Amino acid sequence: MPVERKPENIVQLIWPGRRSEEVALDATGKSGGAGEIFAIDSKPGFLAKIYHATTSQAHLAQYQRKIQWMVDNKPALPQIPAEYQDIVQLAWPEALILRQSRFVGFAMQKIAFDRTLELDYLLNRRQAVQEGFDTDYGKLVTVSINLASLINCLHEKRIAIVDLKPMNVKVYKAELYVSILDCDGFHIATDEFRSDAPQVTPEYLASEFHDKSVAHPEAQDRFALATIIFRLLNYGIHPFTGVASDHRNYSPELAGRIKQGLYPYGKVAHKSVRRVPASVHEAFPDSLRELFDRAFTSSGYSRPSAHEWVCALASYASKDSGQMSPCSKGHLRFSGRPCPTCMRDALIHGAEVRRRSFLARVQTAPARTLKYVKKTLRQTHSSPFQAALAQAQLAVVPLAPPAPISTRNAIALEILWISALLITYWWMK
Amino acid sequence: MSPVTLTALWAVPLLIAWLSRPRQPAGPGAWILLVAFAALGAWALWFGLYAHAAEPAAFAVWKPTVLYWTLAAILIMAPLFGWGYPVKIVLGTYFALSSREWRWINRGLATVCAILGGVNLLVASRASYKDWVGFKYSCLMILLIIVLFRLNFVWLPLLADVCIVVYRRATAAYRYLSSLF
Repeated sequence: MPVERKPENIVQLIWPGRRSEEVALDATGKSGGAGEIFAIDSKPGFLAKIYHATTSQAHLAQYQRKIQWMVDNKPALPQIPAEYQDIVQLAWPEALILRQSRFVGFAMQKIAFDRTLELDYLLNRRQAVQEGFDTDYGKLVTVSINLASLINCLHEKRIAIVDLKPMNVKVYKAELYVSILDCDGFHIATDEFRSDAPQVTPEYLASEFHDKSVAHPEAQDRFALATIIFRLLNYGIHPFTGVASDHRNYSPELAGRIKQGLYPYGKVAHKSVRRVPASVHEAFPDSLRELFDRAFTSSGYSRPSAHEWVCALASYASKDSGQMSPCSKGHLRFSGRPCPTCMRDALIHGAEVRRRSFLARVQTAPARTLKYVKKTLRQTHSSPFQAALAQAQLAVVPLAPPAPISTRNAIALEILWISALLITYWWMK
Repeated sequence: MSPVTLTALWAVPLLIAWLSRPRQPAGPGAWILLVAFAALGAWALWFGLYAHAAEPAAFAVWKPTVLYWTLAAILIMAPLFGWGYPVKIVLGTYFALSSREWRWINRGLATVCAILGGVNLLVASRASYKDWVGFKYSCLMILLIIVLFRLNFVWLPLLADVCIVVYRRATAAYRYLSSLF
């Protein structure tokens, strides 16, 4: 039985070369800040992004110009083997969508969500395992180099992502290729077309662009890329997360720390901020540490480019290079460096032992306190100092041993004592 | 406060004390002190709580002397009758001393009590009323010293014992309740 569709869900796709095709849209229930995602009835490999009805005509006109240019100028992406041709590396606009001859959105290739996971999940190993992704340093380096390669291709075309963050990146679980979403928000600065990208995320925004517009989008991408790679390799720890050595002016938010340049993981320690104890950055090779230091302590185009990251990571991503080798426990590590996984396990295990010890101490604190008070009052401390003190006092006046009676009997006697003291008080007052 | 409530306030603690008393026999020195304080206490309760008529005004001057001389008499007479040294009831909880030492401490305390009783009468008759009141209250220092000794050597260890018992029982109750859920 044919499904009846609302007339507004019948739209026209305008492919490159102006070839037009009428299709029907099915709601997926997924919606973002700018638009809503629809399935395309006759195109299972594609999705449609329809801008919200509240979008102004002026904005729609801007979107149309940008999408038209993007449809006509798809960038060349990193080469991938023939068996992985179904991998979508960019959710790039493939066709304009018109409704009653008016621009409303665009069509893009569908990313198989069942084969991918958000890069965000890789920042937390437990979450990654829950998503069916068993992380190791080999895979993380591969994901990093694939992301850097993809960004490098965009930068070569003078396209910048600007709002580059783990939530906008998908990772293919088996193949380790990455896919970038929200391409219609990219910054484009070619000779024939220019479009800005106003959207930013403060935690991934370079220091010079806080409270300002992003004047150099590629420099911003360089910062965000370095931040993502650092977090990937360092168990999700943000490069500007630290412990203040001096609490003056230490911002509680990452954005403030980025702005102040409080990067504690450099080869030269920062004066005002210390690294978090769980960090394993010391297990990274010097070549990567130098790139990180340059990315987080310099500004603008002095930061390592995506191409530099590709070159630096290439040897570690290649199995034949021998730059990564298993440790005694079988974890992959950077050759010649301590194993980050073992370091992390030791840190976590140590923290767990300390946590249990602390809890045990808290639980036994009342009993120990009472025991201590009792020993103090009875002067039966086992410490040599306390014993010597007690003996010294005994030498002056021998103290009576505790009465061999129960607490109940002792309380009864004390009631009599208090009565006697009250009687004495009454007679003397 | 009604007479019934007042009676309950002193009778209930004494009843609890009697029911929970240690079962080992008390020495005659302890008994004689107990009897003396029962008598003094009965007098205090009667005139403090129940009697319609006030205590004879002249007796106010004699009250500290009666207490001191009663104690002095007990402290002097008990060793003569072979009832031991009553001072051990007061200080024996804190110190372990020889009989000779107890004998001399007993004599010393008896002397102090006898002198204080006499000095009280002397001050009451020779000095002004205000000075007598000052002297009387300064003697309460003895009571304060006993209270501090008792607090340090008996009440605090006893409180620690009670807290340990309460803590253990609370822990056991918590475990029991946890096992139920």
